[in-house]
Amino acid sequence: METFRLSENMNKIQILVFSGLLFAIALILSLVESFFPIMPIAVPGVKIGLSNIAVMYAIFFLGARQAYAIAILKALFVFFTRGFIASTLSLSGGLLSVTGMILMLFLLKEKVSYSGISVVGAVSHNIGQFLVVSLIYVGVSIWAYLPVLLITGVIAGLLTATLLRILLPALKRLV
Amino acid sequence: MNFVKKYDIIIISFILAVSLVFWMTYEVFFADQSPKAEIYYYSELVKTVDLGQGIEKNFSIEENPNVVFHLFEDGSICFEESDCPHKLCIKAGKQYWPGQFAACLPNGIILKIVPGENSDRDVDIVIGN
Repeated sequence: METFRLSENMNKIQILVFSGLLFAIALILSLVESFFPIMPIAVPGVKIGLSNIAVMYAIFFLGARQAYAIAILKALFVFFTRGFIASTLSLSGGLLSVTGMILMLFLLKEKVSYSGISVVGAVSHNIGQFLVVSLIYVGVSIWAYLPVLLITGVIAGLLTATLLRILLPALKRLV
Repeated sequence: MNFVKKYDIIIISFILAVSLVFWMTYEVFFADQSPKAEIYYYSELVKTVDLGQGIEKNFSIEENPNVVFHLFEDGSICFEESDCPHKLCIKAGKQYWPGQFAACLPNGIILKIVPGENSDRDVDIVIGN
């Protein structure tokens, strides 16, 4: 798995610009995703999470700080456009997702591929959101829903990893 | 650059195993019994039907014999006949999942599905007379 640090060959401004670009890509991807027709299996809370592609790219090629920055900025953007609850969900999911992926990369390094990291990212994103939802809806038994979120997280993670792999050549030309 | 490495499979199977454990735990300890159907006449509960009986029958409530319900073998229930003008209650179709409901407003009748065990996880519906 390639995880060469682009940031080593960049000065601060280049890193800043590139992070900003990835943030913009993340926003566009989630906008594009919202245009998709509702999936045949109508399960609330389940989506592909295309913007995870940009976040993963940041983790692999820029660094942890940039990835966290994108997650936080994205939550801020959601706060302005969709309000507090949606923003809290985005933040909890985003932060846990980035943390999970960085841990995987740090612990397993070359032993794991994009697919594994992406799956961990998607699943921990779902777990982060689930924790916040369980704080909001106290007393409602939503625990039965966790397996659904875990399994769909695995599927979504595999999908975004595949897409990242397809997009990598194009993204390389960006630099 | 392999598409899938050994640890990927370990991670994925671990996640799937965890969700399976959660699922089984839920099924064994918390799963609802078969749901019940409650029939209200002007917001008063007049009949409760256990949907897990596995029998097929027509029945109606004493308050209004013109409205006939049909209980299916698979545990769903519907309005079969009614003397109301638009038959919206019949068009609402089969109800099965807790939270679903059908109403015949001209006759003041509500059919709603509630979880089998006692809980407040169902819809509140009120019809005034």
